[in-house]
Amino acid sequence: MLSILIWVPAVAALIGTIAGGRRTAGTIASLGSLGALGIAISLIAGFNGQGGQLTHVIDTVWISSLGIHYSLGLNGLNLFLVSMTTFVFALAVIASNLRSGARPELYFLLLGIAESAVLGALLAQDLALFVGFFDLMLIPFYFLTGMYGGPGRVMATTKLVIYTFVGSLLMLAGAVALAVLTAHASGHQISFAYSALQATRLGRGTQEWIFLLFAAAFLVKMPAFPLHGWMPDGYREMPLEVLAVFSSVLSKVGAYGFLAIVLPILPDASVHFQTLLLLIGLISILYGSAMAFTQTNARLIIGYSSVAQLGFITMGIFALAPQGAQGAVLQMVNHAIVVAPLFLIVGLLAARAGGSEDIRDMGGIAMRAPILATVFLIVTFATLAMPGSGNFVGEILILLGLFKTKLVFSIIAFTGVLMASVYMLRVFIRSMHNRAGPEVVSRELRWRDAAVLVPFVGAILLFAIYPQIELSRAQDSVTSSISAAQTIASTTSVADR
Amino acid sequence: MSATAAAWIVLAAPLAGTIINGALFRRLPGRSAGWIGTGAVAVSFIFALITLAKIQSVAPGARELTSTLWTIAGTTGVDARATILVDPLSVLMICVVAGVSTLIHLYSVSYLAGDRGYSRFFAYLNFFVFSMLLLVLAGNFLLLIVGWAFVGAASYMLISFWYRRTTATSAGIKAFVINVLGDVGLVLGTFFIFKHTGTFDLLASFHRAPHVFTSGSGDVTAGCLLLLVGAFAKSAQIPLHTWLPDAMEGPTPVSALIHAATMVTAGVYLIARMHPLFQLAPAAGDVGAVVGCLTLLIAGTIGLAATDLKRVIAYSTMSQIGYMIMGVSIGAYTAGLFHLMTHAFFKALLFMAAGSLISAMGGVQSLDRMSGFRRALPFTFACFIVGGLALSGVPPFSGYFSKDSILLFAAGRGGWHWALWAAGYVGALLTALYTFRMIFRAFLGEPCAEALELIETGHLHHPEAPTNPANGEIEDTDVGFPGPDHAVAERAIPMRAAMGILALLSIVGGIVAIPHVTSWLDRFLAPTFADSTLVGNASNGVLALGLILGAVVSIGGIAAAYYIWVARPQLAGQLRERFAPLATLFENKWYFDELIDTLVVRPGAWFGRFSQNTFERVFVNGLLVGGSTGLVRASSALVRATQSGILRVYAALMLLGAAAVALYFLLQS
Amino acid sequence: MSIGWYLAVSAIVFAIGAGGVLVRRNPVVILLCLELMLNAANLALIGFSRMWGNGDGQVFALVVIVVAACEVTVGLGLIVAIHRRRLPIDVDELRELQG
Repeated sequence: MLSILIWVPAVAALIGTIAGGRRTAGTIASLGSLGALGIAISLIAGFNGQGGQLTHVIDTVWISSLGIHYSLGLNGLNLFLVSMTTFVFALAVIASNLRSGARPELYFLLLGIAESAVLGALLAQDLALFVGFFDLMLIPFYFLTGMYGGPGRVMATTKLVIYTFVGSLLMLAGAVALAVLTAHASGHQISFAYSALQATRLGRGTQEWIFLLFAAAFLVKMPAFPLHGWMPDGYREMPLEVLAVFSSVLSKVGAYGFLAIVLPILPDASVHFQTLLLLIGLISILYGSAMAFTQTNARLIIGYSSVAQLGFITMGIFALAPQGAQGAVLQMVNHAIVVAPLFLIVGLLAARAGGSEDIRDMGGIAMRAPILATVFLIVTFATLAMPGSGNFVGEILILLGLFKTKLVFSIIAFTGVLMASVYMLRVFIRSMHNRAGPEVVSRELRWRDAAVLVPFVGAILLFAIYPQIELSRAQDSVTSSISAAQTIASTTSVADR
Repeated sequence: MSATAAAWIVLAAPLAGTIINGALFRRLPGRSAGWIGTGAVAVSFIFALITLAKIQSVAPGARELTSTLWTIAGTTGVDARATILVDPLSVLMICVVAGVSTLIHLYSVSYLAGDRGYSRFFAYLNFFVFSMLLLVLAGNFLLLIVGWAFVGAASYMLISFWYRRTTATSAGIKAFVINVLGDVGLVLGTFFIFKHTGTFDLLASFHRAPHVFTSGSGDVTAGCLLLLVGAFAKSAQIPLHTWLPDAMEGPTPVSALIHAATMVTAGVYLIARMHPLFQLAPAAGDVGAVVGCLTLLIAGTIGLAATDLKRVIAYSTMSQIGYMIMGVSIGAYTAGLFHLMTHAFFKALLFMAAGSLISAMGGVQSLDRMSGFRRALPFTFACFIVGGLALSGVPPFSGYFSKDSILLFAAGRGGWHWALWAAGYVGALLTALYTFRMIFRAFLGEPCAEALELIETGHLHHPEAPTNPANGEIEDTDVGFPGPDHAVAERAIPMRAAMGILALLSIVGGIVAIPHVTSWLDRFLAPTFADSTLVGNASNGVLALGLILGAVVSIGGIAAAYYIWVARPQLAGQLRERFAPLATLFENKWYFDELIDTLVVRPGAWFGRFSQNTFERVFVNGLLVGGSTGLVRASSALVRATQSGILRVYAALMLLGAAAVALYFLLQS
Repeated sequence: MSIGWYLAVSAIVFAIGAGGVLVRRNPVVILLCLELMLNAANLALIGFSRMWGNGDGQVFALVVIVVAACEVTVGLGLIVAIHRRRLPIDVDELRELQG
């Protein structure tokens, strides 16, 4: 089941590419991603992983001499991330279909491979497999940026490659070291399985440097301050559909990595570096918000707002409290379903403002586009975590988790909530309201654009009214994944007292 | 039907109105959107009355009914449920909110008839009513916060209703951000409470609070102070008040509904609702009382100097809410809510009348331009007088009893609360002065050009090229702006009906709690506030003193206003010259905007610029990005230098390499 | 005849070919010299084959001849293509591939 889920998008895209033809390739790729979405929804409906158990487990030996298994599994932690991935990818593929670009066959093939790789990374239960998928998912994006991007795409791709490859290499080194040292310590045969790595706990010093290797890779991916240097260029140049996927899905794999791999396997180091990671999260929030104030390119405002949002997620994870982690997982899903439509809306706004993505050239677009304005307003309110939205529930859980463990961090993080309202409303007002810009032609959402945006709004409303749908399923897995670190944190804090 | 089922319908009706108006905005002909909106809220009001009737049949000790529909977030110790709490306090609030909303919707049916965004307006307005009802009915902290933020969002959307006016959009974002600050205060306050009680449920929190908190302990005081931040932001109390005057950019019915009658009083409701917690944190209560008292004085003085008709009323709203906040902070819950109710009546009435007047002026709001509308707009004038008398607290109008009951309680608390009592009467004097300054300047004296046009030709004034008085921009006729097409009360039956009913309520609203005569409100609210430990029983002598003083101060104030602005028109100018520094201070609104600008906005903007221009450029782009890319480039340049492109060099290198390998093996053997 | 003579001839021919590749600039001549080097290797292979008395070396030589034929075809084709585009027939001038 999970193998089918993973490989359906890539295989469909491949068939589409071979079949050839602009229409055919896109249509078959859409069918593939919709198929994956359908499987994901059926998995949610039939989910019964109470007690944090893995379900739908697949475990076959892949490379026996290195102890690498092709091992997949579904639990409450990745269930909704997988669904969110298929959801965003399906809509992004459909949105790409509505737009004509050069070399569509290759484009859809790359997107299909990217989706398969992300799903693989989320479902992998073997560290080597995770690392493989993690690197595989980046490769299509190099090409998507380099071949289909804007005028500065070469520089952007270079930065992207350097940053992410350095991160990936560090992680690879970390993964190998982890497996070898664990095998050494336990006396068993070498294995990359999460369960095996969790079973034996390494010494604290060893954990710490391995932790740093993993953290580097994940923080680059998120991106978090100060490793976000590739972000502005990359975000500026990527095609919007690709950017929507990249920002909403790929950044979450980093956060997922912390929660699924780092915290359970390296609990002592996680506690040791808790303050550092909280600090990184906090600075990401403040810095991302401050940058979002001053940018005028709509993409970059949203890009920096993502830095801030990912800062919240990092803080939620490293609050090392069940509420915080629950909030972080919920917020990962929430952020994905708001940021993707935001980028798509930027495209629509630019189309109405003479092709410019600069908010100074926009204005007054709401006039003949009330539906677009409403959709944008809903997404804006959700992004700034308006109470009543799913994002609010996510943030409140994160902050509550922090509040219980690290009071000061929580209080400072609240300013991020306040600043989010300023920069998000700024984008909304400068584009939709105020006087019309010089080249603005206001026109309503077309049906096909609505077909992509409305599912997002539906998902936002679903999570606004009933976030429990995610929380109840994730609860057991999330608590068990942080329990080791939480126990250590509480014992050390008692010892400090 | 149970009381809770009726309460759910109270909530559902305006939401349905929003959805209908929002979904069908293209299809609704003429004024049907307005009637749908009004009907939805009227249904809500009817069910609010049914709830009122139903709860009376419950035994007084058990008048705390809750009903839960679903769990919003129930995980790891968090219990956020969609729960409503129906008790006398929330029932009183839903009756007032739904009732006043119905009348204001009715008024808007005519008032906004010519506007381009007619159905949008009613969709927003219904959404606001839904949010406000959600706020007062919420039985769970989370739901309370949701309602709290939704009213802020609705307020934002309605302030920015004419969204091509830059003044409106900037007022909107200002209001929204200050309200979010309030939300943050509320959430953090909730966290402090939750930390100890372990539940988001309101009733459960209240029941556990006395067991887990010691009175005056740090966490409960911090929690209550943060709740107060929320209340201050929403209720425009100093220093978080600067959004309210700017919010007058919204259409006048919005000012009447949101920025006078309902939303801005949410802070008062919040403190009353949280009274079991505030009882445990006396320091927080004192802070609330002092801030309320300062607000009522400062806002009164600014109201004396403001020249924009709607802003005078806005400052008056701030001032009156100051009374209420002061009241509920010192424990005068019933009195505070009594004033909330009567204020909703007369302030909504004043705003509606102001809207009518502004229509007659073709959108101009400056008092300097108005005069002599007495004959042109007799009905509006009458409404202004009734509203003004009630606001000033002239017996036997409603404001007289409600304001005095707050001050009476303050006197009953004794000690330093006597200072609040005295300040309250100073505030009452200011109230009478600025209210009648406004009325006399607008309605008495020689008729201005617009008034003459209305009297002589019967036409409403229409400016040639409408401009935004705040910044001189030509109005954008695509979206709409206040003024031209809006109706005056004299010519629109729905407006007259709404204003007439409110005028009646403003006159007789006091009868629900006349000292020693009626005590319906006290008895009705008693179950909610039965656990209050703060008592303010003043002697009958103080009561009589207060009642007499109140009457004297208000009538004296009106007389003084008449003397200054009508009988001796030059006296106002002389007074201004005489007290020039004071007048400058009042005219500049005590420099609060400038203060916030210097303390918050500028450092924030500086930090943003610093991040972008300096930090991002030097550190992130220069050091991190530049460093890593530089390293890669330098190493690749080394390798690249060997790639000369000359074939023979490659061949030579290859040969050399092969020779070296051969030599190595030869030497090895 | 001892193997040494065969190897000596092979080495001399190889050196002539290598020297030609290094000093000449005309691609036709370079190809010619490459042929010389290949055939020097063929000579050595056949010599060894004779020395051991089995056919392995001759099989290798045959393969080398086939490969050399292919290489010459491609090489000459390239030279003709260069000539058609009126580019100089000089390997030092053709250095587009520099980094």
